[in-house]
Amino acid sequence: MTMTCKEFERDLPLLEGVHSLEQDAHLRSCPACSDLVSDLNAISQQARLLEPSVGPSPRVWNSIEITLRHEGLIGQTPHEQVLRPIALGWRLRWLLPVAAVLLLAVGVLVRNRRAGEPFVATQQSSVSNSAGSAAVTSEAALMASQDQQLLNTVAARMPSMRDAYAADLRTVNAYVHDAEQSAHGNPNDEVSQQYLMNAYEQRAMVYEMALDRSLP
Amino acid sequence: MHYTQRTATLAVTTVLLLGVLASGETTRKEYRFKVGHRASLSIINQYGPISVKSGSKKEVVVVAVLYSDKVEIDQTRSGNRLALASHLLDGADANLGRVDYEVQVPADASVILHSSTGSVHVEKIRGDIEVEGNTANVDVRDVSSTHVHIKTLNGAVTLANLREGHVEVTSVSGDVSMTAVNGPMVHVNSSSGKINYDGDFGGSGEYSLTSHTGDIEATAPSYASIDVVVRSAHGKVINDFILQPEHMAFAAITGSAFAGTIGNAASSVKLLSFSGRIHLKKR
Repeated sequence: MTMTCKEFERDLPLLEGVHSLEQDAHLRSCPACSDLVSDLNAISQQARLLEPSVGPSPRVWNSIEITLRHEGLIGQTPHEQVLRPIALGWRLRWLLPVAAVLLLAVGVLVRNRRAGEPFVATQQSSVSNSAGSAAVTSEAALMASQDQQLLNTVAARMPSMRDAYAADLRTVNAYVHDAEQSAHGNPNDEVSQQYLMNAYEQRAMVYEMALDRSLP
Repeated sequence: MHYTQRTATLAVTTVLLLGVLASGETTRKEYRFKVGHRASLSIINQYGPISVKSGSKKEVVVVAVLYSDKVEIDQTRSGNRLALASHLLDGADANLGRVDYEVQVPADASVILHSSTGSVHVEKIRGDIEVEGNTANVDVRDVSSTHVHIKTLNGAVTLANLREGHVEVTSVSGDVSMTAVNGPMVHVNSSSGKINYDGDFGGSGEYSLTSHTGDIEATAPSYASIDVVVRSAHGKVINDFILQPEHMAFAAITGSAFAGTIGNAASSVKLLSFSGRIHLKKR
């Protein structure tokens, strides 16, 4: 009987680098699970570079256990491995953070697969201030690009109207810019919000009228 | 001799005028449609004016003057819904593609008018009015209890004697002038165009006149009953009234913002501009 992805992921924490014939066959036929194992191996290799540290408190292990039980990765069978801090010698203490990272990574990966979200998107969930500024700049560039596309469309249909629409776009974009600055600086100000809504309404109207096929 | 000279001049002028008309090849077309209550008429016209007035109760009459054979009129009808469109043919331009529309509709009819450059005039109807134009000047007057929606890019908007209506005007740079306009809702949104209101802010309505850089001038009588908020982020504000103080969400800054009530504060009035000058004048 062919192994399913669900079965493979269930047994994943227990593999410890050794695969059965069935598991090998599944890896050869399933790119998704193959990628998952590759990612985990990469994490494991990077984790070895972590400095040995004091093991996590029992609370951390309990949280990990609760998460894995919720994900269905560990069950109630007698042979299940209950994760507990193990009294290891100092040579093997580096395994503790490695194990914590691996288990968390597995839990995140499985959750994302079920949600259909890419693994990369989860890792990039935190946005820095510099990334936020870059987003604003890229948004302005996107607006400029959209405006240029609009003007190209107008020029193709009615060349004589292009300059007029360009002037109108400059006017409304100035309004949008001022309104956005006002709203960002005064997020709780109702009047600033009103300016912003009005500015967007103006811009939307210009686009609507430019693209209205009933008029040049 | 003087009489002979006058007669000759008149004759020459007449001949020339007829010649011009003949060379222009204008064509007059008339359309008549029998309709029921609450008919709807849509006209799309790139070049040329559109004028709509109240007429017969059960008939829509459209008189169109076409300025060349480079334009034709497409008409469609679906029950009480009529649609006419000026269809430009190859070689049409602003002169050759021009069509002048004179329309009479039942008073309860609704009209939807799209014009690029020609002026639009609507008067004395009770149905909904929707006008959209690029540089077209829009003039709506003597209507009551109706919804009026106007959008222009650069065309000026003139509203006069609009009673008990919902009025929405959005214009990028066209000036908006309102005289005796009141109703449950009057909303004007302008970027750089000026907004001028001369009325009583009656009807216990919500009045919102906002602009980006355009100046706003609102003239009201001393007996006006309004709850007014005026604010210009970077422009000057002037107030001719003595207002009863009221709690505001923002600080009253002399020259930039003020708020208060006059009379019973029946209507809400907001005059907001980003950098335009705002003047609340007493008539």
